Amino acid sequence: MRNGLLSVTPAFFKVWLRNAQVYVALLKFNIIPALVEPMLFILVFGLGLGSYISEIEGVPYIKFVAAGILGSASIMQATFECTYGSFFRMKIQNTFEGMISTPISAGEVGLAEILWGASRGFFNSVLVLSALLLLGIVNHWQAVFAPLFMFLAAFNFAALAIMVTSRIAQMEYFRFYFAGFVLPAQFLCGTFFPISRFPEPVQLFAWVIPFTSYVDITRSLMLDRLSWRLGLEAIYALATTLLFAEIAVRSMHKRLVT
Amino acid sequence: MVIQAKALHKRYGGVVAVESLNFSVEKGRCYGLVGPNGAGKTTTMKMVYCIVLPTSGSLHVFGMDVLREPRRIKARLGVVPQENNLDPDLTTWQNLMVYARYFGLPRQLARERCREQLDFMHLSERAGTPVPDLSGGMKRRLIMSRALVNDPELIILDEPTTGLDPQVRHLIWDKLLELKDRGITLLMTTHYMDEAQKLCDEIIIMDQARRIDEGSPAELIRRHLPPYVLEVRASRGLAADILARFPGFSHQESGQSLYFYAGAAADFDGILSAWPRAEHVLRPASLEDVFLKLTGREIRA
Repeated sequence: MRNGLLSVTPAFFKVWLRNAQVYVALLKFNIIPALVEPMLFILVFGLGLGSYISEIEGVPYIKFVAAGILGSASIMQATFECTYGSFFRMKIQNTFEGMISTPISAGEVGLAEILWGASRGFFNSVLVLSALLLLGIVNHWQAVFAPLFMFLAAFNFAALAIMVTSRIAQMEYFRFYFAGFVLPAQFLCGTFFPISRFPEPVQLFAWVIPFTSYVDITRSLMLDRLSWRLGLEAIYALATTLLFAEIAVRSMHKRLVT
Repeated sequence: MVIQAKALHKRYGGVVAVESLNFSVEKGRCYGLVGPNGAGKTTTMKMVYCIVLPTSGSLHVFGMDVLREPRRIKARLGVVPQENNLDPDLTTWQNLMVYARYFGLPRQLARERCREQLDFMHLSERAGTPVPDLSGGMKRRLIMSRALVNDPELIILDEPTTGLDPQVRHLIWDKLLELKDRGITLLMTTHYMDEAQKLCDEIIIMDQARRIDEGSPAELIRRHLPPYVLEVRASRGLAADILARFPGFSHQESGQSLYFYAGAAADFDGILSAWPRAEHVLRPASLEDVFLKLTGREIRA
């Protein structure tokens, strides 16, 4: 318990603030490129591919895929921030070493990085959701809760990313992580088409990844299809997210304090 | 005692970085850790500021165990690391303010301290400069300012002047002496023996993970060497000739140089009159001679 989440004090928020300060200073570099991918997805899947598909699960394709676009934009932001971004701060700039030479603990740096990655995913989901609302793709009021679940999905991926970042010696290993996990998760977790299309073992595998639950919950909110099953999904997704965060925080401690 | 280390060990896998180290640091004095690269100096310092955990033995800073109270220890010390770890995404001023926040200083106090420390290190005009635009010497001075924002009782400096021009080195020396006069304890490493001799009250010589001696610069010189050194530049042939003619003269050979040691300058007259044209320097023994005597003059593979 000593170096895990329970050891973290509110001081961790100071590290989050440092990241936010840098983000704001470089705002234009951060916001515009982050919107390109989701806008491209809306164009490709909505107007392009969507025009060949009449309906999926009883709704126009673009309405179905909106949750997937939102989800993949969020997790990608969090993942990039907590892989390349965190690694750069940790190994190249030695910023973390500077932080832990003060009363800030290594676990606090770890949690702050995760929360920061999640925050970036959240900001992004708010922007993308606004675009989806403006375009009339999303029109149920429950959709305003979507960013909350996008925040949690991003938190989940940020924690996974910190688990990887705190364990690798060089950045090149991220390529394995992206190819082996992030990209498959981005496409196979019910983001762009229902996973019921898959053979059962693959479906099972998809449900193991908590992202599937987060996307499903978000989609249900956007399409106004609430059911009790979503509660179970939420419990599972939250529990795994917490578990990943605990592992990531310990792992960061082990990396920084040798 | 500000620092007390007893039988301190640090092992990384099979590699022993620090072995059976005993030392203590008294308040208000400057301690120097000197030794060849890889001797364990940086590891020792990192254990003091709680980012490296001892494998065994005990280490207390301000009377607190580094394993139990790292947060409270770190709150009271300032660190000048060997490698620049300033935040390149921020300006000079922001670097200090962000750091002050890590120490939990209230905003108003933080502002005052940062202004004071920038002024102390002659950086006030650079407050708005992004870190990547600072020169090497300015970065070093900024790291010094940063180490002072929390008004530390102990400052740990890992090679504070490596790679700096003489002006900045002298400025840093002045400032360190000023801090010592204020009663702040200093623990530093350096590869410059002139720096160690000038700043340190007490020197701990380390080699191959162990402490091999400790004392004030003057004591160390007295303990290990006669007061005078004659350094003669000599090819292998000339060296053999001199040594054949003056057997038994206390000496050391290294590369193209011969070092003779004696209790009085006049003792070298024989050598100098026999080879009047040999290139030579006659000087008092220095800390550098002691260092090289104890750790060897040769480069290790």
